[in-house]
Parts: sequence; structure tokens; C-alpha cells
Amino acid sequence: MKLDTSGFETSMPTIGFGSSNDMLDGFSTVPSFDLPRTTDFDGFQKEAVQMVKPAKGTTTLAFIFKEGVMVAADSRASMGGYISSQSVKKIIEINPYMLGTMAGGAADCQFWHRNLGIKCRLHELANKRRISVSGASKLLANMLYSYRGMGLSVGTMIAGWDETGPGLYYVDNEGGRLKGDRFSVGSGSPYAYGVLDSGYKFDMSVEEASELARRSIYHATFRDGASGGVASVYHVGPNGWKKLSGDDVGELHYHYYPVPPSTAEQVMEEAAAE
Amino acid sequence: LQIFEYNGSAVVAMVGKNCFAIASDRRLGVQLQTIATDFQRISKIHDRVFIALSGLATDVQTLYQRLVFRHKLYQLREERDMKPETFASLVSAILYEKRFGPYLCQPVIAGLGEDDKPFICTMDSIGAKELAKDFVVSGTASESLYGACEAMYKPDMEAEELFETISQALLSSVDRDCLSGWGGHVYVVTPTEIKERILKGRMD
Repeated sequence: MKLDTSGFETSMPTIGFGSSNDMLDGFSTVPSFDLPRTTDFDGFQKEAVQMVKPAKGTTTLAFIFKEGVMVAADSRASMGGYISSQSVKKIIEINPYMLGTMAGGAADCQFWHRNLGIKCRLHELANKRRISVSGASKLLANMLYSYRGMGLSVGTMIAGWDETGPGLYYVDNEGGRLKGDRFSVGSGSPYAYGVLDSGYKFDMSVEEASELARRSIYHATFRDGASGGVASVYHVGPNGWKKLSGDDVGELHYHYYPVPPSTAEQVMEEAAAE
Repeated sequence: LQIFEYNGSAVVAMVGKNCFAIASDRRLGVQLQTIATDFQRISKIHDRVFIALSGLATDVQTLYQRLVFRHKLYQLREERDMKPETFASLVSAILYEKRFGPYLCQPVIAGLGEDDKPFICTMDSIGAKELAKDFVVSGTASESLYGACEAMYKPDMEAEELFETISQALLSSVDRDCLSGWGGHVYVVTPTEIKERILKGRMD
């Protein structure tokens, strides 16, 4: 059986002296595809693919409204396809009036948030007044920037209430820091944004806002495989944060979409009639 | 990109006393995104033989269509239904035909043979048969399923108890897998009836 070597041909002529062209005589007549100019055929695209891969398997969101800041997150930790935990605390209490959300590496987020809490307390002691949300997020962003490129994975939102009112910042492991009114971070964020953006109004009551946050997390857990568990909702007001609810999304699904009892009986009748 | 984990699936079959149960999850996804929550993975070949396919969804559907075609030809020629052992050999042969460009799915076959004796087997994507006396599993949640079935299985269970066991094993295993779940689909087959049930599971 003659081996099919058409894959080895290139449209590039061999560089070098004319005498080496006779090596190609048996091969060059069949049309062929361009080979990439690299020695590592199997792995050269890996880096580009890894860059766009959704690394942060989670859904967290936060938004500012009339009564303060609403922060919500799911509670699933996944390692590839395996669910390692359904009860991870992704909303981290930095101090009684500031919250941070966790997306990315759990160890990274927990450590750096605790570190930020320490720095905020030191600031309070040194300056005899609380640190602003802007200041706290800047401290975290600068710390993460100095570790840029070393493989930290942190996609967090710092939410709090300071002298200027409610504050919300997004900070990530690249050292980026953005001020905003609505953020969602993680692999489930596109689904959460869809529900959050269409239902958002600045003039909402605390109950309406918490229901919106809960529903956004629920919809993200339904569609995204890497989000699930419990939807926790926190509210940050002028007197600090307060946990409003922690509902299991498995039960939340049947609360939003109850199964009408008749359909199940219908299915059993059809099967029994076979 | 793991091709067997592109769509996500979980399939299990168990043997009882003169009956068998075959169950699957209902999710169809594209990597982490869930597209549908009512995907049919289990198919009836004839009243006493069922096949469930895990793996790439397009191959699941195409392979099922090919197998139904081959079984219908057999019925026309032999004027009878295929025995489950024969059907398993047919599936194995069809998969090995594509040895160097395989169907990317792993079937689980369950049936009632001569004297109503239940038969189950599973195969890898190129047709290596694995017969078992108790249970077989397949899909992205297979490791969790092995553990759950090993713990919950008892021999010679009646149809109702078998249904409870296989449902609990399936639901608890897919709750540990991001890529499968979103409900369950169980068929319990005895010599006299086929009972199809949809399971209410966690939708996350």
C-alpha cells in the first residue's frame, strides 16, 4: 500500500541551492495546502485559544440603584467538567460596609480580599476615617498590577457605601480597574447581563432590586454549565451590607416555572398503552 | 477541546429481576452553554431492545438512524425482532467499520433476551463490547455514575425498586457534573410493559 504523502507538500519552494530541488521531484505535482511556518504544528494555536477560553467558571453581578448597591453570586466551583463544590462563598465581606465578589481562582480571590481588608483597616487607624470604595479598589488594583503576568486569576467587583454614596468598581488580575453602575463577571455573565439589563431601573425598591438580582443569577445558572448551587443576594446600604437571601437554584427553577401535574400523568398513560 | 465533552451526556443501564432500566440526562449543550433541556438520548429499537448513546450529539442522532435502518432490514428478512446480543454485535461491527474515523459516541444497549433474561452492555467508540451483569455507564458523568451505581445497586430488584435506584444514581451523579443533567429520562422495561418517566432534577 503506497503511503499518501500529499500532506507533506508545501507551495513554498525549498530555500537553498538548485541541486536540492530534485528531492521534491516525486512530490511536488499534486496541489497541497500551506503548512504553518512553525516547528510545533500541534501546539502553536494553543496559546491563542487559551486566551479566549472562559477561565472563570462562575456568575457574579453587582449594580448601583437608588437605595445602594445590590451584589449577587452563585456558589459553584468547577474543575473542568467536575463540580468540586456547590457551596462556595463567592461574596467576601471585606469589612462591615464593603463587599468583594470572587471570580477566577478561589485561593487568589480569598487571599487578596483578606489582604485588602487588612490594608483598609490600617488606613482607618492611620487616618482616623474609613477608606473610600475608590481608594480600596485602587489599593487592590495596584497590588494585582504588580503581579501581572504571573498567573493570578482574579475578576472581582468591590462594592461599598462611603461618604460620596454607593460605589462599585471592577478590578481584575490584569490590573484593570473600572468604575461603573452595572457589572457581571464570569462565564455566566452574558446570561445575567441579558436579564439584568432588560429589568434594570435606577428607581427600584430594595425588594425589586433583590428579586432582579436573584432572577439574573438563576437564569445564568440555568444556561451556564459552570454556574449553579445557591444564589446569594446582598444589599449594601448607608449602614453597611446585609445578606438578603440565599436560595437554592434547583428549587428556584420550580418556583419560577412550576410543573403542572397533568403533564406527568399524560406521559405515563402513553407509555402504558404501548 | 475535548470532543467527547463537547455536548455533555450521562447514560446508565441496570439489570433487575426479569426487567431492566435505562436512563439518561436531558441536556444538550455546546461546551458550557446549555442549548436544550429535552434532548432524546434513549431510543427504542423494538419493544425489548433499547439503545442509549452518549457523546457527540450529531453522531448520536446519525448512528441511531443507521441502526434503526439496519434493524428494519433485519425484520424484513428474518420476519422477527433482533435478540439483544445480536443487536450488540451489529452495533460493534458498525462502529468498527469506522475504525479510522469513528463515530464519537459510546452506546449503552439494554434488552430482554430469551426467557425474559435482561441483557446490558456498553461499548467504546470503536466497538469494544463490555458485558456486565449489574450495571453499565457512559458519558461525561461516568466516573460519578460508577461510584453511585456501585454503592446503590443490589441484584434482583423488582421494577419499582429498580426505578428508584437508577433515578437516584443518575440524579446524584449528574449533580456533580457541569455538562450533564437538567432533568432525567428513565425507561423501565419488563416482559409485559414499558414505563417511561421524566425525572425532576436540578436545572443548574
